[in-house]
Amino acid sequence: MKLLLFAFAALLLPASALAQSTAITNARIVTVSGATIDRGTVVIRDGLIEAVGASAAVPADARVIDAAGHTVYPGFFDALTSLGLQARPAAPAGQPAAQQQAAAQSNSRYPAGLRPEDRTADELRAGEAQFESARNAGFTTALSVGRTGVFNGQSAVINLAGEDVAGMVVKSPVGLHVSFSTIPGQYPGSLLGTISAIRQMLHDAKRHQELEKMYASNPRGMRRPDADASLEALIPVLDRQVPLIFNANREIEIIRAIDLAKEFNLRLIIAGGQEAGKVTDRLKAADAAVLLSLNFPKRTTASSPDADPESLEMLRFRADVPKVAGRLAQAGVRFAFQSGGLTNLADFTANAAMSTQNGLSTDAAVRAMTLSPAEIFGIADRTGSVETGKIANLTVVRGDVLSKERVVTHVFIDGKLFEPKAPPARPAGTPGTGPAAAAAGVFNVTIEVPGQPLTGSMTFTVQGETLTGNMTTQLGTTPIRNGRVTGNRISFAATVEFGGANIDIQVSGTITGNRIEGSIDSPQGAVPFNGTRVP
Amino acid sequence: MKRRIGMLLGLAALAMLPISAAAQGGDVLIKNATVMTASRGTLENTDILIRGGKISRIGKNLPAGSARVIDATGKYVTPGIIDAHSHTMMSAVNEGTLSVTSMTRIRDVLNPTDVAIYRGLAGGVTAALLLHGSANSIGGQSSTVKLKYGRPVEDFLVAGAPEGIKFAMGENPKRSNFVIPGQQPRYPRTRMGVLEVIRDAFVRARDYKRSWDDFRAGKTRVPPRRDMELEPIVEILEGKRLVHAHGYRSDEQLNLLRLAEEFGFKIGTLQHGLEAFKFAPEIAKHGAGVSIFIDSWSYKLEGYDATPYNAYMLWKAGVNVSINSDSNERMRRLNLDAAKTMKYGGVPEQDALKMITLNPAIQLGIGSRTGSIDQNKDADIVIWSDHPFSPYAHAEITMIDGEVFFDRKADIERRGLLAKEREELEKLDLNKAPGSGGAAPRIPAERIRGDLGHSEDSDHDDQR
Repeated sequence: MKLLLFAFAALLLPASALAQSTAITNARIVTVSGATIDRGTVVIRDGLIEAVGASAAVPADARVIDAAGHTVYPGFFDALTSLGLQARPAAPAGQPAAQQQAAAQSNSRYPAGLRPEDRTADELRAGEAQFESARNAGFTTALSVGRTGVFNGQSAVINLAGEDVAGMVVKSPVGLHVSFSTIPGQYPGSLLGTISAIRQMLHDAKRHQELEKMYASNPRGMRRPDADASLEALIPVLDRQVPLIFNANREIEIIRAIDLAKEFNLRLIIAGGQEAGKVTDRLKAADAAVLLSLNFPKRTTASSPDADPESLEMLRFRADVPKVAGRLAQAGVRFAFQSGGLTNLADFTANAAMSTQNGLSTDAAVRAMTLSPAEIFGIADRTGSVETGKIANLTVVRGDVLSKERVVTHVFIDGKLFEPKAPPARPAGTPGTGPAAAAAGVFNVTIEVPGQPLTGSMTFTVQGETLTGNMTTQLGTTPIRNGRVTGNRISFAATVEFGGANIDIQVSGTITGNRIEGSIDSPQGAVPFNGTRVP
Repeated sequence: MKRRIGMLLGLAALAMLPISAAAQGGDVLIKNATVMTASRGTLENTDILIRGGKISRIGKNLPAGSARVIDATGKYVTPGIIDAHSHTMMSAVNEGTLSVTSMTRIRDVLNPTDVAIYRGLAGGVTAALLLHGSANSIGGQSSTVKLKYGRPVEDFLVAGAPEGIKFAMGENPKRSNFVIPGQQPRYPRTRMGVLEVIRDAFVRARDYKRSWDDFRAGKTRVPPRRDMELEPIVEILEGKRLVHAHGYRSDEQLNLLRLAEEFGFKIGTLQHGLEAFKFAPEIAKHGAGVSIFIDSWSYKLEGYDATPYNAYMLWKAGVNVSINSDSNERMRRLNLDAAKTMKYGGVPEQDALKMITLNPAIQLGIGSRTGSIDQNKDADIVIWSDHPFSPYAHAEITMIDGEVFFDRKADIERRGLLAKEREELEKLDLNKAPGSGGAAPRIPAERIRGDLGHSEDSDHDDQR
């Protein structure tokens, strides 16, 4: 019996953890936490870093990797992703919102999207194959959380390896993620309502906490407080144990998040932060860190003689984004890099490199993708740098770490070795790289039905010039048909249920950076819509 | 001419930075102007000394001392225009999901970079009442702001201005024109339903207040829930929050006045009030203000029974009348809307000017600090090129608290710099159009859509 248990436990351990050690020798070692070692050895055993140093001894049992001419970094850390989460299947078209929520199965009093108790760790799927492209880019670790609703859920830091979820998770919960989003078909249906709904829930959670204390001290003569899991999930947030991680890119969004956190004395982290450079004083005063998106806005609109020139505001915004990291570093605002929904992680390094051409030091850039996220998430005692006793998450690189020519040769996650193969050179014009790819993603949209805007989302997947996905509004979720992408223009048809009848609509739009706008044609007339990409 | 003005405003709209003149704080002496005080008639060849953001002295041949001198010979000076019904600088207008959304706050959704603010300044507007939309029987909490474009959002809020809230009656809250396919119709669907929802909210607020009073008096052990919906309604009952009530039909608005009297509070303003002339004496007796359009009607069924003489008749009955815009576009020419009250009925010049200055200031509860050119008031001042009721007049300088927030001359000078900045920015890779071979995008010879390209620039006429 004991033997069986042991065998079972052994199965759960990463393969490399079984006895044998690994030694990376003759490598340049960027420890991040301390001085860079020009030529040294890193010894890995049992999933941990056993020794680091210029003269660290190579154990007798070690598998030796001669890394002369290579550099060892702490494994790269993507500070905000949805890695490991399976997209929820869309509800069948035409189903009203209420039924969709019933399908989500929860005993919460709050609608889907307003349930802070939802945890990424409960929804992660196992299997390490799903992380291959991230590992190939040198990433060993990521913060993961869903992207829908006002409360996106409580995130988890995961290692991008391991065949079961329990072994993948490094820390959970990390933060409660919030978006200035709305709930289709009901309150809150606008930014006004969203902020008010969060405020009321925080007040309710405060009271819930007080009532629980009162009841614990003397239950007699007092009605028991309700077992409200949604409010209970907010108590660690009120107690500053769990930070609020707010998706906010524009200056005013960041200010709104800071104001709300201040109102309830919450710990705050800003995610996105594309205009964070404008509010460094407020961020410092709020002691808020930034998970800075490296999904830089690019112009996708083709120029046309008939078109209005772009607003100066938009031109300035794009020009400013690469300078944000440097400004945060200079102002002493803690920040970490995140991929911000980038589909191609080569852009992660390219844009980190662009940041270094705009006022950020290379050391600071490397830190922002290794130790800084670990510090922000409170796990720097176990990962984020090359130090003895820390998790053996390491990335071995040949060439300059942020250059296009660099090659990731070895990735260790929990001590397990992966050897990425360099991706085949992609011929120019292949689908997935052009402006068409910019259409891929999720957009929160407002459809300007006169007097009562409808809110919802559009989810696009792009293959070549073909657009697939679905559209969700108060009228339900409907798959899109005949979807086309031409440059930055998208068009598709869909059918929505309207008072028992099916109405065909034709949607066309333009995507500029993270914004989408266009119009929806129906037999009832055309209405404009616009929206932004979910970061 | 019209196109040219559109072009100019379009260019002015490019200005996103605070203009350099705004940085020039300190004392200012406006020399030798025709000063339309809005309280004490028009003063010829008069100087205004501004100190510490306040109007320090008004008189002839005032010594400049260390003050910066603005020669206003041949020009007109008025108080800054106050728009008592605006949805400018708001990232959201309606929370349309519920009929009572008193928990929502306009303060939460202010956007201080909305270029419409700058355009308002170019039309001489210095302050505005920012209201929630009219989709709800009881809408959100309003904000009273000065248009300090270029400043942090907090600086816009008028300190000490009374709190307000939007109410609405009629077609909009009963959703007559806004049936959303596939969605359950929202209660109420009739005018009587709207009144019932409002009455019910006051009854609930009264009960809510009692539950807190009981708790504070030690009669109950468990603290009541803080209800963000009912707290502002309690404040109305306590006379601490002004009600700004959208409505059209006289019967309905009269019902609201009666309901307020029944619950022991006063309505701040009746908004729109296209039929207010029909019950002007009752309004005067209640003490509510009325904020109207001068000559805009028939855009909806309940907006048919209107007349441009409405302002005159209300004024004659002793009602405090203001002319509002409810629109980013019309906000820029409220001076002409005020002029029309002289044409329709013959409101005297000063009373016409009051309808866009002192009267709205009083309606917003800030009449003691702004709205007229009087000693010790905030230096919210517009210098006009011509008589402000002339269609040829434009605002040359708009000041708030003694600081210049719009300077037509500086604006025109800055356009060259902005054009140059644009040129530089368009050269950057991030701003190049794909497939353009790296060429900067061509600027069309003539703008087809004028200055309407900005995403937050939409008019909110559908809120009317």
